[in-house]
Amino acid sequence: MTTAGGPSSSSLADVIDTILDKGLVIDAYVRVSLVGIELLTIDARIVVASVDTYLRFAEAANRLAIGSEPKGLSDLVSGGTEKIAKSKTKSAIEEKLGGLLGGQEEPERERVSRKSTRGDR
Amino acid sequence: MATSEQTKNQNTEKSDKKQTAGVYVYGIVPADVEPGDATGVADGKVDVVTDGDIAALVSAMSVDRPLGKPEDLRAHANVLDGTSRVAPVLPLRFGAVLTDADAVKEELLSAHADEFAAALEQLEGKAQYVVKGRYVEQAILREILDENEQAAQLRDEIRDKSEDAGRNARMALGELVNNAVAGKREEDTRKTVEALGGLIDSVNRREPTHEEEAVQVAVLADVDRQDQLEEAVGKLAEEWDGRVEIKLLGPMAAYDFVVTQNPAGQG
Repeated sequence: MTTAGGPSSSSLADVIDTILDKGLVIDAYVRVSLVGIELLTIDARIVVASVDTYLRFAEAANRLAIGSEPKGLSDLVSGGTEKIAKSKTKSAIEEKLGGLLGGQEEPERERVSRKSTRGDR
Repeated sequence: MATSEQTKNQNTEKSDKKQTAGVYVYGIVPADVEPGDATGVADGKVDVVTDGDIAALVSAMSVDRPLGKPEDLRAHANVLDGTSRVAPVLPLRFGAVLTDADAVKEELLSAHADEFAAALEQLEGKAQYVVKGRYVEQAILREILDENEQAAQLRDEIRDKSEDAGRNARMALGELVNNAVAGKREEDTRKTVEALGGLIDSVNRREPTHEEEAVQVAVLADVDRQDQLEEAVGKLAEEWDGRVEIKLLGPMAAYDFVVTQNPAGQG
């Protein structure tokens, strides 16, 4: 997703990265407690380096076509894998959200629309 | 600051309010901001509670309702980000609920009136933007294998082996690749911040949230200069075409630049 035509709309993953552990915090005793929020803050972080990551990178390198294709010609193929990788990330996060806080309900799939529900003018 | 004891008393005196009612608070704005027709968390209608020069964006909700579904997160962000286009706003962290409007006015607004007003003044005309980039896997792997002979050798080594037989080589290769990506991320983050240069007041380099992340920075910039920001990120997108998918998010509330002790932190 490039920036042609202005800023992109935020995906759910973008929103989570931004609002869960950032912003002003009200004194704990003033706030009416909401079970689960603090937990969610911690669990939504993604562990970046792990054995799984290493094995996945190795497999991805293994799958690269043998020999050196000219650089820059693999755009079509790589676009596809990128999409798959993204949707995996999102669903992992959504599962956590659903499990921890959303009760039994199925985690909602991301919608791209952001349109007219924006705030105050 | 009123004690929670007092608040409870006030609450019970009002017979029209249920015990389970609460007020969700989105953020702090100047008092002249009017709520539009935005829908808030739990489908609540967004309203303002005013105290002198400052106000809080709020909506009513029931505290026995679980909070944290995707639509709740989006509603919180939408209310704040919509506001950030037209007025300075100090975002509260997701999930702040007070007992009633009096608690918002007394315990939140009057108790911190000077800090809030000063922070809002510093944010006047500014909003947060986030630049996020993700490596295109095949492109970045190819780049790394081309640059790193050891990685290329390990790749050849696992080529003809089963996953189990080549496990050690796989681990070594994966770690090499991961470290190489981290190095590139650092360099590309530096380049991004450099490219935004004079357009930004503050920058927060965020911790990566994905193993193939190329860059994730939050910046504070003038809303008036958004087109220049778009242009700068557009140039990066062009330069990295096929290698990094980069996007610009915003304007949004200054989530990364408000902290409880020192609002509107200067970086």
